[in-house]
Amino acid sequence: MKDHSNTGWIFVLPAALLLGLVGVIPLVTVINYSFFEIFILDQRFWVGTEWYGDIIRSGRFWSSFGRSALFSALVLCIQIPLGIAIALCIPRNQFWVGLALAGIALPLLVPWNMIPSLWLSLLNPGTGILGRIMADYGWTTDWKLSAVQTWAVLLAMDTWHWTSLVVILCYSALTTIPSAYYQAANIDGAGPWQVFRHIQLPKLQHVLLMAVLLRFMDSFMIYTEAFPINAGGPDGATMFLAVDLGEDIKAFNYGPSAARSVLYFLIVLTVAWVFMKRQNQIDAPETREGH
Amino acid sequence: MVRRALPFIKTTILLAFIVFACLPLVQMTIISFVATLPRPDTAVGSLTLGNYANILNDPNLRSAFGNSVAYVLINICITIPVAIPAAYAFSRMSFLGDKHLFFAFIAFRITPPVVLTLPVFQLFSALGISNSVFGIALAHCLFNLPISIWILQSFISAIPKELDETAFLDGYSKPRFIWTFLLPQIAPGIAVTAFFCFMFSWVEVVFARILTTTNGKPISMAINALFGFQTDIGLVMAVTLASMIPGAVLVFSMRHHLSRGFKLGRI
Repeated sequence: MKDHSNTGWIFVLPAALLLGLVGVIPLVTVINYSFFEIFILDQRFWVGTEWYGDIIRSGRFWSSFGRSALFSALVLCIQIPLGIAIALCIPRNQFWVGLALAGIALPLLVPWNMIPSLWLSLLNPGTGILGRIMADYGWTTDWKLSAVQTWAVLLAMDTWHWTSLVVILCYSALTTIPSAYYQAANIDGAGPWQVFRHIQLPKLQHVLLMAVLLRFMDSFMIYTEAFPINAGGPDGATMFLAVDLGEDIKAFNYGPSAARSVLYFLIVLTVAWVFMKRQNQIDAPETREGH
Repeated sequence: MVRRALPFIKTTILLAFIVFACLPLVQMTIISFVATLPRPDTAVGSLTLGNYANILNDPNLRSAFGNSVAYVLINICITIPVAIPAAYAFSRMSFLGDKHLFFAFIAFRITPPVVLTLPVFQLFSALGISNSVFGIALAHCLFNLPISIWILQSFISAIPKELDETAFLDGYSKPRFIWTFLLPQIAPGIAVTAFFCFMFSWVEVVFARILTTTNGKPISMAINALFGFQTDIGLVMAVTLASMIPGAVLVFSMRHHLSRGFKLGRI
């Protein structure tokens, strides 16, 4: 049980102040800008909710939103099961665990702006490893012209980049299961599926929730990696939400970009709220058992 | 039958995934050893170590490595001391608004940096810390601090509460207890946290780009600057590979901490 003590605030105060500086102050600034027409920062005109109305009414916003949502859904459907599967495949032998984890973690260490370049050179039909293999099998069509194939490349790239994080998080949770559980399951004659369903999956819940949260938001707002692959093409088929925002910011459209930022932050808040609700749901039966 | 084949299937899946994970890196390594721009002494396409020599010869790239190391270290030095007391409070105490505060922390962790780039740039310019490694280090606290609190509180929650109670009976105050008893206990947790801070911070580019227009460029931005009319892609790949070495060394030295397992759970 936790102590009821408001001195807890003294302990979290430094963290709250730091996030206030780098998080809350910029956020308040953005909210403030979103109601103004701004040419230069000293001259501004109140426009009310005009920017919000423009964005909400534009078909471009909703189609980007749909594309981002679809991309996130696909990313989660691929990476979460794959991450769990790989984590289950990591051997128990100490020596091999180290090597396997080190190998798996490598994609996480590549600077994000280099990831598109790596994949473009990998798929290059003249010099890339995958590109040449595909050319050998007679597949010479340019994937950049096909929306489906561009999506496939983006999904492969994101899976390559981020599944490792899911694997590391899941593996960390799996190692906390006492070996007595497995022995008991063995005596009862439980098969691999039953062991997974009744021993391993319950232990993974909290970590999976965090993994889903991180992967959902990062893929929903994918920015640095997606654009260079095919410049949002073909025909705008890979224009995601964050790309529009990035272009507004580059063009110094303070007002519209701020309104867009606020809308995106509202999406973030909703997602975080669902996350907390879900976490409390998972906790509820546990605390009942504890009493 | 299935059960006997299971270890074999597992190993195959794992190896297939590691091959997949390494494939683009193999491509990168190959290109980094090939001369891709015509130079007087080497023909295009021939094997060379010249790209790596060029890294050492380029003062911009050398200083970029220094900047990256500096801002990641500063970030870790800010994040961990701030995160430890907060993690302790979330783990051991319930106080007014604790759930809401954690909700706010999580919301900031998942806020995409691009949403806050403009005001962060203005704020840091006003404070005079843009174009410096300190500015990037501070901005990266936005996502590193919440995740650090989450990881550290799991480690603290794994330590029996009797340890606290005995220390308090012996007359230790909470801060002194954290310093003398808790820190040695959660040392592996601090190492894991520092590793995650490194991992998220080293490769981040959105804040790094907007905060280093003139000075203090980290490696990722130095690589960006290499792209131009005639890009020496061999050099680009060599720099990328070199930029991964510190992380790879860190992962390898951390592998026992990571593999021994760390409990990540709820707040």
